[in-house]
Amino acid sequence: MSTDNSDSPDADPSESFVQDTGEEGPRIEFYGGRGMSAFPIVFFILWAIAQTAFWRISDEGGLVIGILVGLIGGMFFVRGDWKTYANTIFEGMTQPVAVTAIVAWIWAGMFAQLLQDGGFVDGLVWFANTAGIGGALFPAATFVLAAVFTTGIGTGYGASIAFVTLFFPAGLLLGANPILLFGAILSGAIFGDNLAPVSDTTIVSAVTQDSDIGGVVASRFKYVIVAAIVAFAGYLVAGQFMGGLGIGGDAQELLVAESEPIGLVHLLSMGVVIGTAVAGRHIVEAISWGIVVAAVSSLALGLLSLGDIVSFNAPADAPLSQPLEFLPILTVVENPDDVGVGGSLIQGAAGFFELAILVLLIIAAAQIMIRGGAFQAILDWSIENLATNVRNAELTMVGSAALINAVITINTAAEVAIGPYISKIGERFNLNGYRRANILDAQTAALGYIFPWSGGVLAGYSAMQELPGEFEWFDTGMLVTPIDVVPFVFQGWLLVAVFIIAALTGFGREYIIDRESEEVARL
Amino acid sequence: MSVFTKFLRGWQFRDSSPSLTVGDECSVFVAETNSDGNGHVYIGDTHLLVEGAGPETAEKRVRIEVTEFDETNATGRAEFIEVVGESSYTN
Repeated sequence: MSTDNSDSPDADPSESFVQDTGEEGPRIEFYGGRGMSAFPIVFFILWAIAQTAFWRISDEGGLVIGILVGLIGGMFFVRGDWKTYANTIFEGMTQPVAVTAIVAWIWAGMFAQLLQDGGFVDGLVWFANTAGIGGALFPAATFVLAAVFTTGIGTGYGASIAFVTLFFPAGLLLGANPILLFGAILSGAIFGDNLAPVSDTTIVSAVTQDSDIGGVVASRFKYVIVAAIVAFAGYLVAGQFMGGLGIGGDAQELLVAESEPIGLVHLLSMGVVIGTAVAGRHIVEAISWGIVVAAVSSLALGLLSLGDIVSFNAPADAPLSQPLEFLPILTVVENPDDVGVGGSLIQGAAGFFELAILVLLIIAAAQIMIRGGAFQAILDWSIENLATNVRNAELTMVGSAALINAVITINTAAEVAIGPYISKIGERFNLNGYRRANILDAQTAALGYIFPWSGGVLAGYSAMQELPGEFEWFDTGMLVTPIDVVPFVFQGWLLVAVFIIAALTGFGREYIIDRESEEVARL
Repeated sequence: MSVFTKFLRGWQFRDSSPSLTVGDECSVFVAETNSDGNGHVYIGDTHLLVEGAGPETAEKRVRIEVTEFDETNATGRAEFIEVVGESSYTN
């Protein structure tokens, strides 16, 4: 880092300058230079690639161990007192970014589970059946319904599993092409994962770029819908040319069995969350309203019982278990293994506990990299060689986010790791938080559902492998091999293409002087 | 701004070198600073030299007033007013 006396605005931007030297916090010196401060995060990325891409194990617990081993290993390269290194881990973990994301996830998890348990997908099945859609149109219709479902529940993995279980076999019986159908399901999952305010990746993209979640959702609609219109047309056209397996059979019977029109009431729950979040309410408030509407409507319409939402399984010898057994939320159990608390709320929240720990540790490793200087070194190199103007900066953001999401199966973890880089490159050119968050999340959502090792593909494929055991007519030859679906995940490819075009043409670009994103209210 | 209007914001092709008007006040991130106490701000490819923005403002969001602007070269000068915010990630 050096200084100069250039006082002309026409001077070459690459001239030497004084940057933030980070005197506000302690520096960490590493044997082998500042690059070694990247050891924990590089070790984690290699671990994540080996675990998720090479061995196809989508286990967040394994990734937690990976980052822990990386953090321990990095300590051995520290010069001098290790205390500063240890304190920096705590400094990273207590950053507002991590806490905000975790709180929002827990709320979103409870809401999503209520919608899933409250029969939202059954309502969509009813709609598909009533509309009488044929085999050629079925992939396009499935794309739309999966997109609506995922926009409601936020989790594309959950949507992949639900739609492969319910829509995939029905589509095959109707004569839809299985590869196209699987691609349409994954495309719908991408749409919702990218747009839903309760999506984990939407939340991470907003909080890492200091933006409000409602504003992020509204501002990214233009990119998502442009890609979706073309993808929808693609499924319509491809559906005419790509034939089915000619199985025959009664698809309607299959659909009717899972059909529940009242489940469509959750379009209201979903609308409440999106509407209140975009209107500028705090995300916790917006999702809380969604939880209230989903719970009350599910109870009133008989979709869920109170015990489905929260249930206590108490042992018979507990002092007040038997006297209070009449309560709808309390069950007395004999088997000690059955003792516990269950229901949609805890199941939904607990789904994010492991991811929460993982994210705390990734942010700690990122902080080590910042304090040790490797982050600044990468940033300096990028600014000098890649992000030389605003177009190249946006292309660099698209490329780096796409690359890390292509190699790490669990896209939320990849998004957290690349978040600081996207933020710094974007802030340098005064791109506002919405634009930065949209570039980050589009690649995260898209690349998480395309490749054979992607988490979304693996989730759907795992559900598909259960189908031969469930239906007599379904043989293993009807399974779609993950590699075959890669070209047919239209929404994913188109979303990446939209952002490359947006970077080149300036479509949707907003600077901080155009509109400042509202910072996510800290908790 | 209504909920519907928020969805319609940004449906446009924005210039890579946005224009500014003398007298405009805005808040922006300072990319880097010189040793003589001036800061460099890039709004897209538009370059402003901000007088009075010393090293303590590097990578911080500051309020500035535009004092000169050349449309042809998309360059100009501005005066530092105050620091109004931090980067998403502060060293």
